[in-house]
Amino acid sequence: MKGILLAKWKTFIRGPWTFLIFTGMSIVFALLIGGSGNVNSIQVPIYAEDETMQSGFVAEKLKEVEAFSFNWMDKEDMENRIANGKAELGLILESDSFQIIIGVESPNIEMLESTVQGIYVEKIQQEKLLASEDGENVVREWKNNKPVFELKRESFRNDDTFVYDQTFQSLFGFTLFFVIYTIAYNVLPILTEKKEGIWDRVILSPVRKWEMYVANLIYSFLTGYFQIMIIFLVFRFGFGVDFNGNFLLALVMLIPYVFAIVSLAILITAIVKNVAQFNAAIPIVSVSSAMIGGAYWPLEIVESEFMLALAKINPITYGMEVLNGIAVYGYSMSELLLPVSILLLMGVLMMGIGIHLMERRHI
Amino acid sequence: MLELVDLSKKYKNTYAVKNMNMFIEKGEIVGMLGPNGAGKSTTISMLSSLVEPTNGDVLLLNKSILKNPSPLRKIVGIVPQEIALYSELTAEENLQFFGRIYRLKGKKLQQKIDEVLEQIGLSDRRKDIVSKFSGGMKRRLNIGVAMLHNPEILIMDEPTVGIDPQSRNYILETVKRLNKEKQMTVLYTSHYMEEVEYLCDRIYIMDQGSLIASGSKDEIKSILSSEKTIVMKVNRMDPTFIQLLKDNPVINQVITSEKEITIIVPKEVNLFSKLIKMAEEQNLEISSVDVKVPTLEDVFLHLTGRALRD
Repeated sequence: MKGILLAKWKTFIRGPWTFLIFTGMSIVFALLIGGSGNVNSIQVPIYAEDETMQSGFVAEKLKEVEAFSFNWMDKEDMENRIANGKAELGLILESDSFQIIIGVESPNIEMLESTVQGIYVEKIQQEKLLASEDGENVVREWKNNKPVFELKRESFRNDDTFVYDQTFQSLFGFTLFFVIYTIAYNVLPILTEKKEGIWDRVILSPVRKWEMYVANLIYSFLTGYFQIMIIFLVFRFGFGVDFNGNFLLALVMLIPYVFAIVSLAILITAIVKNVAQFNAAIPIVSVSSAMIGGAYWPLEIVESEFMLALAKINPITYGMEVLNGIAVYGYSMSELLLPVSILLLMGVLMMGIGIHLMERRHI
Repeated sequence: MLELVDLSKKYKNTYAVKNMNMFIEKGEIVGMLGPNGAGKSTTISMLSSLVEPTNGDVLLLNKSILKNPSPLRKIVGIVPQEIALYSELTAEENLQFFGRIYRLKGKKLQQKIDEVLEQIGLSDRRKDIVSKFSGGMKRRLNIGVAMLHNPEILIMDEPTVGIDPQSRNYILETVKRLNKEKQMTVLYTSHYMEEVEYLCDRIYIMDQGSLIASGSKDEIKSILSSEKTIVMKVNRMDPTFIQLLKDNPVINQVITSEKEITIIVPKEVNLFSKLIKMAEEQNLEISSVDVKVPTLEDVFLHLTGRALRD
């Protein structure tokens, strides 16, 4: 078995391109679609005559607003953008007041006005506080996150509760989607090696058949798992995505998903007759699974009962549930047990059927 | 040493091999000759325990290997028709991989690799990636892999398909040398009758899944000892002329190809002048007439009515 794994490793070193391409594509797609985080926010050009305001209290507070994305520029550019229809609103900040330049009448005007007004009210309150006798101490305490009262907001989660995070949706979706390709193309050599007679040679050697399967499956599993690990590490340490403090748990809980995808690849390899059929089957299976399983968009927005029923027999559905459960909803271990068990069951079933078919058809 | 008894393999309603009987003695080179699709590769797969036969048995030293193939697998080396190598690895890495699966390790493995590379003439290309090898070099390495564990029996399935004459000669010489120096028993299948004729002590001829002739070269050729083969080259194929030949009671067999007519006649018959006259009557121009000593190809033609490479 070691010999087979060593040969696989050497082959991988000579041609790591599939692995690198799919790893790179996962990162790029997750960054492009989810990484910026403000794709769905309204772009608002912003200008202040006093340049110090760009780093002042109001500017800092505006950064925290999720509904709008504020882009600093000079007044002329801002006016041009609004005149050309590239922005529907503009914001001019002054020390104690603000102006909204309206290009298009929309409900966003009121939303922007109330948002900015709220920030200015907060600014004035803070300034008044500072002006009072013990003001500085109060503000220092407030800045050190030691408020007098701590407010905590929670909701009871039920099946209808839906939290959508574009960054996690894209990161998890594209990671789970692209890893299907990496794993599938590492399982494919079972088919080609059988056709080329390499398996026959190994069968005639003292190596047992189960060792041949296990070595190939371990290699495919590890390649897929390393791809996910690299992507998650890049986002964790490169872009500061913190997985709700459960980074390691997310990595561990993905093991059943990778196992299920290895099994799915075995099943496809057993069904197809040649590489051309395999090349045609993989995109069909992976893209449809990603769509049905909620890798491209959250399943919560899908209304078709039929599509939702299909999602229940799709490994991506449960992979996404595990990751969203860990990073977005903060699932407990007992809550994670159900999707993890389903993935393991799917893995065992598909692996069993796949290997049985391969052996029966002697491919 | 190795024996096939009434061996058959049936796929759905078709027999790939039917009632094959064959034996191989220690130290001999046995040839299996037949056109593509004759059932040679299926026979080899059953013989080497890779495919389970529908009927019959495979005996090694009079013991069946169907239920327990390990005694055979230990002593057999297979050279498949396909290039069964990792094309992204070097020649040496391929040998290391296949050596390791035969539990060879360390110095012993390295010594064996050096020896095999020397035998197949690839010592100076050991560090080269297989995908960059010529067809002949790949075929040689394909053979080398089968020799790593010192097999007593080497089974070669069309090892010279698609390679240049120089590499082909090298392979034939290597097989001869292995047989002579190491007393290696060889089963060599091919549809090139000249290879089988050159290498083998005994020959089995297969067609459409069945054995149609067997014996030593001379024994097989003696099938045609009372006959001779006349090959005529003509400027065009004339159906009337061919029909006249077929109707001639003296002629045993008429086989036609593109511009060649082969006829088999009794040895004592002299047909030369008659053939010229018949051709003239049909306004046919004969560019050459060749009377041949029977070859294995002629025997095959005689037995099946088809050329080996049809």
